[in-house]
Amino acid sequence: MRKNLYFALALSCLCTLSQAQQISPAQQLITNEDSLNAGAAKSKTVISGYGSASYQRDFNAGVSTMNLDRAVLFVGHRFTDKLSFFSELEVEDAKVEGGSDGGEVAMEQAYIKFDLSPKQYIVAGLFIPRIGILNENHLPVNFNGVERPLVETVIIPATWRELGVAFYGSANSIPLNYSVGIMNGLNSEGFEHGSGIREGRAEGRTATANNLAISAALQYSWKDFKFQISGYAGGTVGLSKRAADSLGLNSGAFGTPVYIGEGDLQYSKNGFSAKALFAYISYPEADKVNAAYAKNLATGMYGTYGELAYDLLYKKQKKAQLISFVRYEAFDLNSSIPAAPFGIYDGTEKQSHLLLGLGYLPIPNVVIKADIRLVHTGPQNPALIINPPPNALPYQENNQVLNLGIGYSF
Amino acid sequence: MKRRDFVKTSCQICLLSSAGLLLTFMNSCSPAAGNSIFKTEVKNNQIEVPLSLFDKSPLQFVRPKGWNYDIAVEKNKDGYLALLMQCTHQSNQLISTVNGFTCNLHGSVFDKEGNVRKGPAEDPLKKFKTTISQNSLIINV
Repeated sequence: MRKNLYFALALSCLCTLSQAQQISPAQQLITNEDSLNAGAAKSKTVISGYGSASYQRDFNAGVSTMNLDRAVLFVGHRFTDKLSFFSELEVEDAKVEGGSDGGEVAMEQAYIKFDLSPKQYIVAGLFIPRIGILNENHLPVNFNGVERPLVETVIIPATWRELGVAFYGSANSIPLNYSVGIMNGLNSEGFEHGSGIREGRAEGRTATANNLAISAALQYSWKDFKFQISGYAGGTVGLSKRAADSLGLNSGAFGTPVYIGEGDLQYSKNGFSAKALFAYISYPEADKVNAAYAKNLATGMYGTYGELAYDLLYKKQKKAQLISFVRYEAFDLNSSIPAAPFGIYDGTEKQSHLLLGLGYLPIPNVVIKADIRLVHTGPQNPALIINPPPNALPYQENNQVLNLGIGYSF
Repeated sequence: MKRRDFVKTSCQICLLSSAGLLLTFMNSCSPAAGNSIFKTEVKNNQIEVPLSLFDKSPLQFVRPKGWNYDIAVEKNKDGYLALLMQCTHQSNQLISTVNGFTCNLHGSVFDKEGNVRKGPAEDPLKKFKTTISQNSLIINV
């Protein structure tokens, strides 16, 4: 069955790629000068990157930290006018040291891009599917706040990349962008209570490919608005059938599925901008996974946020931007749970965050940020506190966090 | 193979094959379908665009044959502005928005004049000189 699937997928890709490789007589006649005019990069290999550093004060904990959150190096190479390579190599938290926690060196993206036309292309390799707003546009100069929006971190994992193939395009006659992709699935064994589906990602490292996933997105622009809907559906058990059966899990390409639905809108006019996003994750067979791996996963999770921002320097029409913003986020990582005894509700995973902040961009590539985040969570469930430390302080449902940060991209 | 597996497999193959055919269909139908893409050829480093095109909309897209990028041409109070829809960061194709152009690869944003509003791009979009000859707009590439 899987062989047939792979064969059909390969056939679909080959059909499309063969179009990409067809060279028309007109294209063969393009001179070097025409090729340059047609937009071939002057330098075939491009190196660029982005990064951010932050200071954070957690008032409840009475702890301040400073961190080089990430430094990312892009390397891109153009083989021909229609074939190119893109990559992002990330170092998180400045260093990775054997034997100690923290830090990460990871490929954020590494894929070949096949241009089919000026408005359509295919990517193959480790790529970021179009889900949510931030996933594709995660550079620090492109979002407000020192931290990435939490909904797009804990519900939709930020910089979520997987191995696969995706097709992107834009319609010519209407302002519609579309994308569809197929990739390796998530790993249910990695899911953890309180982090959504984040820890189930393979991110290109020996992903299980017995299970697969598909994602698709539509973007439509109308006047000053941009709407998007996106979805993801994939299997989460990549084990052999025998191993899955022994754990009581459903295997196969889309066995023990997880579904994600997301919708967002963005507005921008005369220095004023607004964003709103809603995302929902459904994991109907969470009870089976909880039984198999002794976890406390939810069957449903949601997250939503709304943001208003205004560029205070917009009317001066300067290159610099001073963006003030307010953002309200709410999410519940266990909005629905399996029936007892396979699920225990955790009120601390239902949270709301109100952010007020400023971002100053002297040029579009450098940003200095400051914000304050007011946090509220639900109550702790005593049933989840096993062997509490004797010196543990009472759980506080309200907290304040001060963030200062810098970011760059080039 | 059980009948149920056979039906499921057949459906999945149909779905994937349909996706492949859909791509082909979208690829072939979209460029000709819209009246906002004007397909033409480069002759003597010049592209000729009929001025009547701008009666429909002040913003038009020109696709020179063999090029990998469209040219966005906007009629404004100062005349005509022709911008190459190629991101100056890593040469990705740009998407047109009401306020300008965006790049889906890394999120660069350009305004209607081609100036960078959001990085990582640092350079403005390539502009082509334009002249008017009789009833045509000449884009000098």
